[in-house]
Amino acid sequence: MSAHDQHGSGRTGPRPRRARLLAAAGAAAFLLASGAVTPSAPAARAADGDQGQKKVLTVAVAQSVDSLSPFLAVRLLSTSIHRLTYEYLTNYDPKDNHVIPGLATEWKSSPDKLTWTYTIRSDSTWSDGEQATAEDAAWTFNKMMTDDGAATANGSFVTNFEKVTAPSPTQLVIRLKKPQATMTALDVPIVPKHVWEKVGDFSKFNNDKTFPVVGNGPFVLTDYEPDSYVRLAANKDYWRGAPKFDELVFRYYKDQDAAVAALRKGEVSFVAGSPSLTPAQAASLKEDENIHVNDAPGRRFYALATNPGARAKDGTEIGDGHPSLLDQRVRHALFMAVDRKAIVDKVFQGHAVEGEGYIPPRFSQYFFEPSAEQELAYDPAEATRLLDEAGYRKNADGKRVDKDGEPLNYRVLCHATDPNDKAVGKYLQEWWGELGISMTLDCRDNVTDPWLAGEYDLAFDGWSVNPDPDFVLSIHTCAALPATPKDTGATDNFICDEKYDELYARQLGEYDAGKRTEIVKQMQSRLYDLGYMNVMAYPNAVEAYRKDHIESITTMPSSAGNIYGQDGYWSWWSAVPADSGDSSGDSSSTAVVIWVAAGGAVLVGLAVLFALRRRASADERE
Amino acid sequence: MSEVASAPAGPAPAGGRAAGPSRGRRAYPRYVAGKLAGAVVSLFAVLVTSFFLFRMIPGDPVKFMTGGRPVSAEQIAVYRREFGLDLPLWRQFTEYCGKALTGDLGTSYQFRAPVVDRITEALPNTLLLTGTAFVLYTALGAFLGTRSAWRHGRLGDRLNTGLALTLYSVPSFWLGLLLIIVLSVGVDPIPGLFPTGGMESGGEEGFAYVVDVAHHLVLPVVTLVAVEYGQTLLVTRSALLDEMGGDYLTTARAKGLRDDLVRRRHAVPNALLPTVTLVFVNLGRTVAGVILVETVFSWPGLGGLFYQALSVPDLPLVQGLFFVFAAAVILMNTLADLLYPLFDPRVGR
Amino acid sequence: MTAEKAETTASDAIAGTTEGPAAPGPRALARRRRRASVARFWREFRRHRAGVFGLAALVLFVLVALTAPLTVGSDVESVTDAPGRPLESPSGQFPLGTDQFGRSLLGLLVWGSRVSLLVGLLAAALSVTIGALIGITAGHFRGWYATVMMRITDWFLVMPTLVLAIVLATVLSRSLGTIVLAIGVTTWPTTARLVRAQTLAVESRPYIERAKALGGGHWHIMSRHVLPNVMPLVLAQTTLIISSAILAEATLAFLGLGDPTVVSWGGLLQDAREAGSVSSGDWWYLMPPGVGIAAVALAFTLCGRAVEAVLNPRLGVSR
Repeated sequence: MSAHDQHGSGRTGPRPRRARLLAAAGAAAFLLASGAVTPSAPAARAADGDQGQKKVLTVAVAQSVDSLSPFLAVRLLSTSIHRLTYEYLTNYDPKDNHVIPGLATEWKSSPDKLTWTYTIRSDSTWSDGEQATAEDAAWTFNKMMTDDGAATANGSFVTNFEKVTAPSPTQLVIRLKKPQATMTALDVPIVPKHVWEKVGDFSKFNNDKTFPVVGNGPFVLTDYEPDSYVRLAANKDYWRGAPKFDELVFRYYKDQDAAVAALRKGEVSFVAGSPSLTPAQAASLKEDENIHVNDAPGRRFYALATNPGARAKDGTEIGDGHPSLLDQRVRHALFMAVDRKAIVDKVFQGHAVEGEGYIPPRFSQYFFEPSAEQELAYDPAEATRLLDEAGYRKNADGKRVDKDGEPLNYRVLCHATDPNDKAVGKYLQEWWGELGISMTLDCRDNVTDPWLAGEYDLAFDGWSVNPDPDFVLSIHTCAALPATPKDTGATDNFICDEKYDELYARQLGEYDAGKRTEIVKQMQSRLYDLGYMNVMAYPNAVEAYRKDHIESITTMPSSAGNIYGQDGYWSWWSAVPADSGDSSGDSSSTAVVIWVAAGGAVLVGLAVLFALRRRASADERE
Repeated sequence: MSEVASAPAGPAPAGGRAAGPSRGRRAYPRYVAGKLAGAVVSLFAVLVTSFFLFRMIPGDPVKFMTGGRPVSAEQIAVYRREFGLDLPLWRQFTEYCGKALTGDLGTSYQFRAPVVDRITEALPNTLLLTGTAFVLYTALGAFLGTRSAWRHGRLGDRLNTGLALTLYSVPSFWLGLLLIIVLSVGVDPIPGLFPTGGMESGGEEGFAYVVDVAHHLVLPVVTLVAVEYGQTLLVTRSALLDEMGGDYLTTARAKGLRDDLVRRRHAVPNALLPTVTLVFVNLGRTVAGVILVETVFSWPGLGGLFYQALSVPDLPLVQGLFFVFAAAVILMNTLADLLYPLFDPRVGR
Repeated sequence: MTAEKAETTASDAIAGTTEGPAAPGPRALARRRRRASVARFWREFRRHRAGVFGLAALVLFVLVALTAPLTVGSDVESVTDAPGRPLESPSGQFPLGTDQFGRSLLGLLVWGSRVSLLVGLLAAALSVTIGALIGITAGHFRGWYATVMMRITDWFLVMPTLVLAIVLATVLSRSLGTIVLAIGVTTWPTTARLVRAQTLAVESRPYIERAKALGGGHWHIMSRHVLPNVMPLVLAQTTLIISSAILAEATLAFLGLGDPTVVSWGGLLQDAREAGSVSSGDWWYLMPPGVGIAAVALAFTLCGRAVEAVLNPRLGVSR
């Protein structure tokens, strides 16, 4: 009970909903019982009137908030909200992703590459009026370095930090243990020290009890109802300029299709795919003249990962990956039987780009294309030849068998919640079936467990790539392997390759952008040849918004890019409301219909009553 | 949920529960005590099951929690300590039971908030949905069942039972989706009348808020009522049919009482017994059965929370919700047991 | 247990109930009596129009399912050779339209009926077997065994069935077997209760005393006297449970707990929703599987009610 009390008293925002809910229950029951939804109409109109004065941008999301604490949140929705409500040291230019000032206006590294000095802007204030200073930034980083609870979400950014200090309110100094090229890509929300130093246990504090939440981003978090919505108000004093909408609401839908339906009806202004709208949804939305479908090159890659004989750093083998996959020819053969074009055409129905290197072409400077002789193009005949050469020949039943005469059967780990996995799985089953290899599609809600245990042969894999590719590159290094089978490493697919590691170390210490890009491409080439990560496609970010609610919105990259889940707050900060007074026309017609329906319901009710009366008297007459 | 639950027909109330006290009024206090003790034992059994059942889910909760993010061994140890996973199983169990007694069901892995908080946040929403649906389908089922029994064998009865059986056979989630297509998204001549999902538009206050919620409530409630009322109808009907053979009804009619009075004063009260039992058993089940409807309509209640928690899997939350669902059934069954003798005219109370 | 087998044993049972204990007579006599009671059962059953209608519908569905390998064949499942474009609305070539891979929905519907029916039947068989076994033994052996068994039954009875089934389906790997198990293991308590009550009633009859006095063992009493007498109840219960099992299968598949590589009606609904047919208003994708599920469930319910009414006329459930 005590937990409940705390909950009630600690919160200052609009909370006392329970009593009202019960009232609503009674009212609703009454309304429904009397067969009339009549009063809905004027209320709906009144609500619209409210929204007419205040420009509200409602975004439908199919993900719930895990935590509103920047130290705990990992889901895309929550981290996007943090982008909007807290300033990061740096930001990325919406045009081409290059690093631009955020809370820091400029930065420089020392000649030994170990000390970074940031100049903190003096025109950023917290929403409670206090000045945001270097002291806040230093405190945030120090907290993450010293408190395990605070390191939960972003701890990896500070593992290489030796010391963080703030010699003056405008100067932040970070001392490193080793050189690190990603110092301008520290995606860590800086929180106000004077608010957060009162927090006791960072591993349990969710930042969702007292509203508005003190922040300094373009929006201020004003309300949150779990599994319902998150509400943000525009920060009129934001140093880069105030957002055009007055309010931004993220509304949660359990199911993407419900969110799309809500967009169609004008209940929301924008729908973010999770991770992307389905081809059918995109096609049907395109037919609506009030809706714009944004079909932009995505930042994700969609790959088929192959178990490389998973092992820990201490050499202990983990799990039971199929030994035949250790043969590069088998891996190449499997991938050469995959018709990437068919996957793009049939499964993604054109809303994707055929896979090549590791990093999606959207990040053009890092994008790598395999050379002609290197490329594993779709070639089932060559795949057959490779398998024969590797010694996996067909038996009498047409099944390929290993040296012991056991037919090859691969377990492919798939995400039960991702329709693409299941769809591509069906194709793989048939393509590999023709090679004489059978597979079991092992779809689970929770793939993490067998994955970390190395109990898979192949798996559907995919990551969102950041403007700085360091993270997605780091997850294939030997250093990322778990120390022992008991630990959890940062590794994605247990890949451990000396040559790749050497290149990785070189790029991390390379502060020259051009040279670093070259090394990153070499790394991707190596990864491609190894055949443990076979990128099948780069799915587009397919999302949609109502043109009668949003006049314009910035995509990232601005020429052709996504809107939801940007590396920055550009989309929501830049969105311009359409002046057509949003959905009022729509809802008044709805209101008319509700009136008509209610009238009909009343009539039917009367008719039934009448009939009953007559029947009753008929009974009597009998 | 009724679909998986008991069969629709049969005179025995769903679940064939034990009969009430047979030996008159003296036994009632003892009877009550016995039933209450039974309920407590059942609750404890549920607690035990929910603890061990979810320990069956293979794998390491800490690895779920960190979701494959880089975690050092020390950090894993911290998590283990934090969630009490470093203790031996029996210690975890006693700790769990001890905490449960004080109303603490643990901390959710994914939300890092007390499970009890998440449940108390979602519970009113579920109660609103199921409560409204429950009142409506019980009233509708009892009303139509009575009418059907009274004119049994005629066209009206046939249509009535036929429709009830058909709707009873319809998967609730499918009906919900169709309703969304037709009445929410709108098919050409029909515009979308109702919201596609959720419980509120957000931002409304006062009366507008109530109306807004009611507006969101219509489709989920209609879905639940449509699939649930059939069972009440059938049980009421067959109970009444059973009663109607009774000599006392003939006597009453012979006395010259009007038909509808005979029905209202004599047959219906007696036939109420199995219906009341069913009503309570149903109420308990509906709370769990709402999973599908909540999922389809994005209703922020327990059912949706359960399904989502299970897919993570967020063990403490799943465990807590499971306990709540089972407790609802136990509570309602016990209530039915306690009320049974009060409604049974044959037990002289 | 197959339907025919159940029916013959049921008629056996009728013989038992109406004519007292079956004295070990000549085999021919027994066979004749059995045939007579089957005929009587059928005569009675035929008078329930709804039941006959349900039975006819069932026969039709079973025929469709059994002949599916001939009429549509497993080729309908192939995604690489899908004949149509994705999500075509109904046309002459594809009477029910196509799914998101361009496969014919009519073909998939027919092909999927096999899985839906099979899972329904197996799950119901499992559920009723467990229920009958526990019910009979708990009714026969009194004392602590019965107490423990009935406690367990009561306990299962309070478990929210769907919740438990979902949990089981999540814990175990995704396969048809898992679904059958999840449904079977969670739906038996009602049957156990009913069967136990019936067993108690049967065992209180004088002829059981006689049989015991004559040295009939537990096995003899249970298999020769109790089982035939509870069989009608079990039969009726089976038909009714199949209907809920089919719904449960669809539900679990819809929640994404089914085997995604197997085509079933519930799975088709799940595919339809995932593809986005609700927001696109593609009702023709959602409609057929749902109608199929409802029709089969209804047919089994109608049959079950008719059987129940025939075997226990006092119920007055039907008609």
